[in-house]
Amino acid sequence: MFAYYFKLGVRSLRRNPVLTVLMVLTLAVGVAASVSTLAILHMMSGDPIPQKSTRLLAPVFDTRPAENFDPAGERPDEQLTYIDAGNLLKSGQGVRRTAMYGTAVVIEPPEKSLQPFWVEGMAPTRDFFAMFDVPFLHGQAWSEADDTRGADVVVLSREIAEKLYGDANPIGRQVRLLDAPFTVVGVIDKWAPQPRFYSLQSGNKFGVSEDLFIPFATAIRHKTSLNGGISCSARTDPGFEGILRSECTWLQFWFELESSADRADLQTWLDNYAAEQRKLGRLKRSTPNALYDVPEWLVQMNVVGKDNKLSAWLAFGFLALCLVNTIGLLLAKFSVRASEVGIRRALGASRKDIFRQFLTESAVIGLAGGVLGLLLAFGALALLSMQSRAIAAVARMDLSMLAVTFVLSVLAALLAGLLPTWRACQVTPAIQLKSQ
Amino acid sequence: MLRMSNLSKVYRTHMIETHALRRFEIAVKAGEFVTVTGPSGSGKTSFLNIAGLLEEFTSGEYILDGVNVKGLDDAARSRLRNEKLGFIFQGFNLIPDLNLFDNVDVPLRYRGFNARERKERIEDALAKVGLASRMKHYPAELSGGQQQRVAIARALAGSPRLLLADEPTGNLDTQMARGVMELLEEINAAGTTILMVTHDPELAVRTHRNVHIIDGQVSDLVRRAPSLADAGVPA
Amino acid sequence: MEIRPILSSLMRNKTGPILVALQVALSLAILANALHIVGERRAAAARPSGIDDEQAVFAIDVNHLRSDGPEQELATQNREIATLRAVPGVVSVANVGQLPMSNSGWNTSVAIERKQTRESAVASTYTVADSLVQTWGLRLAEGRDFAPGEFIDVPMGSRETPRAVIVARALAAKLWPGQPAVGKTLYIGMGEEAMAIPVVGVIERLQDHSARIDERGEFSIIVPTREYGANGGAIYTMRAAPGQRERVIRDAEAALRNASPGPVILKIRTVDELRKKRYRADMALSWTLVVVSVLLLLITAGGIVGMASLWVNQRRKQIGVRRALGAKKSDIVRYFILENVLITSAGVFGGVLLGVGLNQLLVSRLEMARLPLGYLALGALVFWVLGIVAAYGPAWRAAGISPALATRSA
Repeated sequence: MFAYYFKLGVRSLRRNPVLTVLMVLTLAVGVAASVSTLAILHMMSGDPIPQKSTRLLAPVFDTRPAENFDPAGERPDEQLTYIDAGNLLKSGQGVRRTAMYGTAVVIEPPEKSLQPFWVEGMAPTRDFFAMFDVPFLHGQAWSEADDTRGADVVVLSREIAEKLYGDANPIGRQVRLLDAPFTVVGVIDKWAPQPRFYSLQSGNKFGVSEDLFIPFATAIRHKTSLNGGISCSARTDPGFEGILRSECTWLQFWFELESSADRADLQTWLDNYAAEQRKLGRLKRSTPNALYDVPEWLVQMNVVGKDNKLSAWLAFGFLALCLVNTIGLLLAKFSVRASEVGIRRALGASRKDIFRQFLTESAVIGLAGGVLGLLLAFGALALLSMQSRAIAAVARMDLSMLAVTFVLSVLAALLAGLLPTWRACQVTPAIQLKSQ
Repeated sequence: MLRMSNLSKVYRTHMIETHALRRFEIAVKAGEFVTVTGPSGSGKTSFLNIAGLLEEFTSGEYILDGVNVKGLDDAARSRLRNEKLGFIFQGFNLIPDLNLFDNVDVPLRYRGFNARERKERIEDALAKVGLASRMKHYPAELSGGQQQRVAIARALAGSPRLLLADEPTGNLDTQMARGVMELLEEINAAGTTILMVTHDPELAVRTHRNVHIIDGQVSDLVRRAPSLADAGVPA
Repeated sequence: MEIRPILSSLMRNKTGPILVALQVALSLAILANALHIVGERRAAAARPSGIDDEQAVFAIDVNHLRSDGPEQELATQNREIATLRAVPGVVSVANVGQLPMSNSGWNTSVAIERKQTRESAVASTYTVADSLVQTWGLRLAEGRDFAPGEFIDVPMGSRETPRAVIVARALAAKLWPGQPAVGKTLYIGMGEEAMAIPVVGVIERLQDHSARIDERGEFSIIVPTREYGANGGAIYTMRAAPGQRERVIRDAEAALRNASPGPVILKIRTVDELRKKRYRADMALSWTLVVVSVLLLLITAGGIVGMASLWVNQRRKQIGVRRALGAKKSDIVRYFILENVLITSAGVFGGVLLGVGLNQLLVSRLEMARLPLGYLALGALVFWVLGIVAAYGPAWRAAGISPALATRSA
């Protein structure tokens, strides 16, 4: 029976092409707008590392001076001082831990024909790669020894390795950075978690990851300047050494725990550490020390921008308009078929049969709207991607969004079809047969 | 009151020509009650449409209440219709979404009367047909006969010179039909000219005069005479 | 005007009118808010940076890969400035620490008295070794530009108080409301170690490096100091003669490469690019909202036309009867237009309420600005006109219905 209704629905669409096109188009446009904004939101708020997002924790202290304290007006400072980062690294807390900061570095390619160029880099400790499940194409992360003494070693991204060495395996080769020869020890495979949760404080929240990784100690040794934000709220001695000694915050830190149940222990340790530091004259404010796992971190760092939320809301308002419009169109379409309904009823169709038939017809429109809507959504996302690489990284549809498109379209059509279908069912056989 | 001379109405559809009326002649004096009869397809409806200025005719002359209708534009025809004519249809043709008061009000609005005058006329007309008490009711709540009375009230409210009735009792049972005819006769007695199309021979007999149309032409002019029934002449 | 009977008839058949009114209401609510946001973003993106004739201004970021020590770096920079000045078509060059609208720069706490514990404001700090007033065409509202003797070069690792400071007018008004700022002392930092600097000039406007949307977007100061010795690179901002920017950029680049003994990395940033990049997201949102607004209007218009056509069709007989009863064609047209205006008005009324409600939601949840009534009024007008225009077609078709329809059998 359903197949029969389906066929009837398709045939009926062809009978009045103008009306059909209008309905399908209206629905498609509404669905496309909603789905494309929803897709972006979905990608933006997705869990970038679901397998361990509750086991990775970021600590936040307030190292600012007691004066000038405005608890209501200020944003918390989500970066750490060099002093704290160092202490936390030595703490042995958690299964693994890493401190890092973003740098921009000039690469002098081995090929003299290539000009030197800037790359975005990261200077983490070696646990970074294991903690964030970074896949390696060649080689591996640097050794512990290299990590501790700050050796001149580097891990490259796949793109940069290809740019410098083509298809050859570059492990062991040398490349000049920071006015010194560095040895390549690893090349990572494509790795671009969205959002860039590990380092939201610096750089884009979305988009591509770093091209180059050098050990934290190495970057410090070379006095490599920061590519990110630094906040100094107390008097700081000048120069790089001055920054290392100061209460300026410019580093990011992550702990990895065995299980999320260990979080309470880490919090306790953190509070004890802060108390100790207070005795040493630091951490003059009494703000509570915070720990954020990845999902909480994304919320804290406001990853989903207000503009994206705005777009999504407006898109759904737009879909509501399209829905009401479709109700009107369906009403028009079904009302002219009153005589057909009368005849069917006279020939034995029950109200339920008429209901099923016309609701199926609505569903057919929903499917057609879904197909067109999907195409339009792809187009819209492509247009939006032209904005920037950061947006292009999130303006895409995964399988779940594809499914959502069809579900949304069919549901919307069914919803819109409820009233007109109910109206159609009300037609009684007798009266209609009398009309010409 | 109404005179048509040498009137023709030809319908052209694709390649077919239909002569609804040929060299049609009729003259109706003020105060008369004339019925127009004829078999189906005879042209009765065309005649009525033309008489009521609802359609244009192909050739000939039509003078309504001293006004030559030929060459009048649509606006002038509408005005003439509005001011001089009253219509009563077989299907009542009341507007279902309006109550009785508003239904009778419709032609008055196009007349340009002010609100007070319209109210007076409506109440008078509905009183005349005996439905003043149900002014706020809707057509669906009335019987067929009552609906037709409202239609008559609507036709009368503008004080027309000529009432055109198209099978006014066609959709009514015998009792209601008799009631409507009595009402029409009252109205005619009060001075309104009535031209009624019907195929009920009994009704044709009751009026002053009967005009019979066959194939678009007047065939018999039969005066209402007491001896008609005796003569056995079909009317 | 037959308003009452039309209203009464609409009441009896509420579904269609409600659907149309609802569409108008939804559209108006969204349109008003969307256009408001578009207006806001465009206004933000149009704010002047303070740089005169932005088309002619650009900056070159220079990075030398080898360093021969701080003193050499300083000498190199001075040589490079001289080289750039010699390029034909260059009107002015300045060695500056940051650029407006670049999202990259320094914010500093400033105060008006040493003993303050809370900062008076946060200012974006432009360090410069030459005249920014000249290169960027900044307008002086009070006082003067820096004198040659006021520029100092500060080697990395040491600290020296700047000899003068120029303040943007918005910041001056915040720090010293109603008073002239020239002659006052600005404190960078607070307490014992704050640096006290005399204000020598006030410029009309210079946006901060992030071009923030709120009042802080114009809290900028210029200090005549240059830090050197960190091998962090230098930024030279230049003004080219009108119409010659592209050529000057090419020549300047070439001149710098030629003058440089070791490998050097150059990056060009034009003020145009900076502006475009800074407001790219806002402009994208703007365009998206404009497209959505146009679609809204089209869909609503389509809905009105569709509904009106349907009603005309459903009421053919009735229209014939009206004509038979004496309605002129224009009466029929007027009837339908009036009917649509009534429905649209209901929709507009609902839309105004919805629009305010939607705005309230946006204000509370997304920190957007409050909707000025003007947008709602404009939107209402647009939809009224739309309603009339959209209803005209079907109304005209209705007028064409022959009065003879009245006599056809039911």
